[in-house]
Amino acid sequence: MSALAAAVAVGLAALGAGIGIGLTVSKTVEGIARQPELRGQLQTTMFIGIGLIEAMPIIAVVIALMVM
Amino acid sequence: MDSSAPMLENVFGISWLNFNLSNILMMFIASAIVFILCVLGARSLKMKPTGGQNVMEMVIDFVRGLISDTMDWKVGKMFLPLGLTLITYILVGNMLGVMTVVSFNGEVWWTSPTSDPGITLTLAGMVIVLSHYYAIKMRGMKEYSASFFKPFWPFLPINIVSELSNTLTLGLRLFGNIFAGGVLLGMLASVTGGSVLGFVLGAVPMLAWQGFSIFIGGIQAFIFTVLTMVYISQKVTSD
Repeated sequence: MSALAAAVAVGLAALGAGIGIGLTVSKTVEGIARQPELRGQLQTTMFIGIGLIEAMPIIAVVIALMVM
Repeated sequence: MDSSAPMLENVFGISWLNFNLSNILMMFIASAIVFILCVLGARSLKMKPTGGQNVMEMVIDFVRGLISDTMDWKVGKMFLPLGLTLITYILVGNMLGVMTVVSFNGEVWWTSPTSDPGITLTLAGMVIVLSHYYAIKMRGMKEYSASFFKPFWPFLPINIVSELSNTLTLGLRLFGNIFAGGVLLGMLASVTGGSVLGFVLGAVPMLAWQGFSIFIGGIQAFIFTVLTMVYISQKVTSD
């Protein structure tokens, strides 16, 4: 049962983070397409955003390991 | 892959004082590699740089760009050594575990130093403590303690929790990425080394995941440094 709980936690976290990172990257690509000269700046901001989003599934993985 | 760490328990007879010998070994190796590479890159400087000096200058320029993106260069230039140390150490540490994992008598000795939560959380904690230190030093105690009550006083608990969660996420992000990469590499390696069919099916994903791990290692070193600079600049610059 605890393995199931861990799997559900990790799966849902991966789902949410996947959607979030997808939205971030797609908006960045749109921005770069509009203003190619801002590419470097936009990419840096994108990576910071992805880093912040990514913390959530990582914490979910830690919680899942604790549940197991 | 399901092997334990070489723990040295109850040092000096103290019941809670345990050392992970593999961590200590890998920290020394990573620091030594960074030190040797940087000394080789910075030795015999010339006006027309060649080889190692070119690489060093590129890394320094890169970190310099990161810092000047997040704060004023006049304030930020004192954080250049910090950023340089963090990015090189974490990058080398991440790469060590991607290349090889050595286990001896069922205990993993050679792995990424950054795949242990103790090391990454220590790095993150040091960075946050440093940001508070520079906030007090550069803005004064009064303005520093006032910053906890921004935008108005009920935000005090939220600001304190945000400091804690900053530390936690900064360390756990690095740990989680490198650790997960290492676990998957170990699984693929055991499939690939198991049988002929396993080799045929496992070799290509193994190579692909190793390449991706190198990419992740670079990105994580980059993100750790950028977020360090962002956190410091939030504290240091007054608005």
